[in-house]
Amino acid sequence: MTQHVFRPPDEPWTPVSPRMASARRVSLVIAMTPFLIAVVVLASVDIPRWVPLTLLGFTIVVGIWAWWLIGRRVRSFGYAERADDLLVTSGIMFRRLVIVPYGRMQLVDVVSGPVDRKFGVATVQLHTAAATTDATIPGLLPQDAAALRDRLAARGEERTAGL
Amino acid sequence: MSEQPDAPITNPEGEGQGHGLMTPMVPSEYVGRHQADVDGRRRVHPLTPLIHGLRIIPIVLLIGFSTANSFAKTGDARFLGGVVVIAVVLIAPITGLQYIAWKRLSYFFDSAGDLRIDSGVLQRHERRIQLSRLQAIDVVQPLAARLVGMAEVRIEVAGSTSKATLQFLTVGEATALRSEILARAAGVRHDAGEAPENVLVHVPAGDLVLSLALQAHVWFFLVVTVLLVVVTVLNSGPAGLTLLLVAGGAPIFIVFSEFSKFFGFTLAESPDGLRLRHGLLQTAAQTVPPGRVQAVGFYEPLLWRRRGWVRVKINVAGVKSSDQGSGDRAYTESVLLPVAPWPVAIAVVSRILPGVDLQALEWQSAPRRARWRCPWQWRCLAVAVNDSVFAVRGGWLERRTCLVPHARTQSLRVTQGPYQRALGLASVHVDSTPGPVRITGHCRDANDARELAEAQSDRARLARGAAPPARWLR
Repeated sequence: MTQHVFRPPDEPWTPVSPRMASARRVSLVIAMTPFLIAVVVLASVDIPRWVPLTLLGFTIVVGIWAWWLIGRRVRSFGYAERADDLLVTSGIMFRRLVIVPYGRMQLVDVVSGPVDRKFGVATVQLHTAAATTDATIPGLLPQDAAALRDRLAARGEERTAGL
Repeated sequence: MSEQPDAPITNPEGEGQGHGLMTPMVPSEYVGRHQADVDGRRRVHPLTPLIHGLRIIPIVLLIGFSTANSFAKTGDARFLGGVVVIAVVLIAPITGLQYIAWKRLSYFFDSAGDLRIDSGVLQRHERRIQLSRLQAIDVVQPLAARLVGMAEVRIEVAGSTSKATLQFLTVGEATALRSEILARAAGVRHDAGEAPENVLVHVPAGDLVLSLALQAHVWFFLVVTVLLVVVTVLNSGPAGLTLLLVAGGAPIFIVFSEFSKFFGFTLAESPDGLRLRHGLLQTAAQTVPPGRVQAVGFYEPLLWRRRGWVRVKINVAGVKSSDQGSGDRAYTESVLLPVAPWPVAIAVVSRILPGVDLQALEWQSAPRRARWRCPWQWRCLAVAVNDSVFAVRGGWLERRTCLVPHARTQSLRVTQGPYQRALGLASVHVDSTPGPVRITGHCRDANDARELAEAQSDRARLARGAAPPARWLR
């Protein structure tokens, strides 16, 4: 049922690249490194053994859970270009569906951080006059991202409607 | 209508200061009541630097008060002299710097009819204010400026991160500049003069005081203050009362600042748009051109309900309310009516958004199972749609009713958290420009939620097609 609500089956959904999962996982490992360092440091000082072991166990459990979640989250992302608006869907626990009319788009950004560049993915961000719009499509191949940006910008130009 | 402004300030040597490439093309008839120097550049009032200097007088007074004690004890006149010296030492450099800033500041209307402001001492700043994107214009009189009959003009355009501010002009000049900018933005002759206005609502001071007293947070402050009194007196005896002057002062200050902000609130209507005037110490006159209101919210605190009162807030594009430095000031700008009886509020809103009949809205309540997710407000949760607006209702202690015209819908979102999913619920958000009014239909049936969003998307598209042009009088 939720599938039907957040991913209407009759729309031409485009998934994002699975490479984004690798990029996110590398970011995850980078984020986990301080915890592993802390485990090593705690293990080498004179405190009860269970302290570093608990931290290690915690880090591993959270890491595995996040590793698995990243795969599902990346698969949950999708966008569909319709005649008059763009649909973006995402989320596993907190699901959302965003409908952005082409006429309301004020700015289309393509951004790509260092890890994303390494894996050859980019993020397209749409901005409207509302700060709450939050239509972000991560994990696009750079050429797809650029093409999408140009298509969106062209459609926005045709239908622009002031404020 | 305003009086003739003060004598013009011409500054022949101001030209050769590297004003950039843009030469203003100002045909002689464009120079209206404001006289300008040879190339049409205008200046703010020469008293400006002094007003900036005067603004720190409260600090000087504070120092004065704190030394008054020792002065009274010793009778030594040197304390008074010291205060005067401190005042001069503080005021003189500020005034001096502001004098240089004043000399380097000029504004004019360029050949495209847009307002340009050139300013900056070390780093030159040339700002172009595109009048077709004008969202709101304020004439504000801070206390220091008010004492000498001066005002500042604040101009808000869409898509800009900050306001353009011109400090300071005489009140006559400021209102004349405001009407000129509005007339140019509307596309009529800029020397058409001040448009006539028709007062819609005046908020009586008595209602304002009572309405502030009936707000929950005022009582909360009162309780906190009483607790503070009890605790300090118990702990440190009557000597603790000195500390109390400061601690107890804060809540009083908060309530008083709200009172002073909304004192004498008058809402008027003119061809230029809505005019909002208010303020006790610092007075502000805001003008919101027609069609700039993006969303409207009615807020009804618990204790106001028996009196049938409501506060009306609006979202205006460009007027930031959350991320602007001082939250309090931003709040004022988005309050359309600080307190008014329901019928008055509805009458006002139906003038801003013609064709909206709040009583005729058919509310669709949230499903009963929403009470597991929103145990307090579920009874009130509802959405309604008619030909021109999308409306949501919610709240428990403070009830709110928010509406957004279809043509002002930015984007739509359907969201669902894990708990909502278990209950088969989802929320529908209609995104509006930044402001206090949030349009969220909480806890709809999940299946209806997307249909609601899709239908709203269609309505918004149709309404946009019929939207009026940006220059509203052309």
